[in-house]
Amino acid sequence: MAHEDPHGLPESESATALATEGVWRVVVLNDPVNLMSYVVMVFKKVFGFDEPKARRHMLEVHEQGRSVVWVGLREKAEAYVFTLQQWHLTAVLEPDEAH
Amino acid sequence: MKRIEVKLSLPVVAPLLDVIKQLADGLGKDLAVPFSLGDLDPDFRDAWMAELLAAQGDDVRALLALFDDEFFADGVIAFDASNAEPVLRACSAVRLRLREKCLGVLGDDALESSDLDIEAMDEQVRKAFMCYLFLATIQELIIQHLDSSILES
Repeated sequence: MAHEDPHGLPESESATALATEGVWRVVVLNDPVNLMSYVVMVFKKVFGFDEPKARRHMLEVHEQGRSVVWVGLREKAEAYVFTLQQWHLTAVLEPDEAH
Repeated sequence: MKRIEVKLSLPVVAPLLDVIKQLADGLGKDLAVPFSLGDLDPDFRDAWMAELLAAQGDDVRALLALFDDEFFADGVIAFDASNAEPVLRACSAVRLRLREKCLGVLGDDALESSDLDIEAMDEQVRKAFMCYLFLATIQELIIQHLDSSILES
């Protein structure tokens, strides 16, 4: 039987709520396949970045293996990961420890 | 509507289509990039994966549709705002699958730099690598000429 917390939520539901609340990062990871120009175009298309910003994030992915491309609420972060997945970029969600 | 037509060499490209078609079959069943949101509600996760898989299938069909009777008659393929995005994505999916299924022997560093000795490859790997380069060329052409159409769509 699940324990209840002081707010009346069962423990498992409370844990799930905590996990999906707060601020999350959308992180794009490097892959050896997608072209630099393709990644720049996807960043411009999905996030509305201008060319310099899209190139900066692409180079960060290429040289450092990852780039945080968006920070915000979980639901919208999930939608961005879904869209990046449609474009076959490897993206993950991470909790933003700074918030 | 901006449209670009590209004339390809039939003897060079036609053999590569067999490779693309083989891999396209697999892309009807599995995502080119593994789904990364593992902590989603299972029902939600299944629905998203099904949607991604269906979209991936549509994209691959758009790529294969380029190589129709007109292509086999005169070697011409055409891109415009209606097929640029799906073809771009399909090229990415097939290239990812080529790396996974056929080009692992080359190593990721070499693949990323494309600094490879094609003559030293065995025939199967060479054919797969030529296909990999061909799809990249299609992507470059679309991005170079239709970038604004894609961003505005």
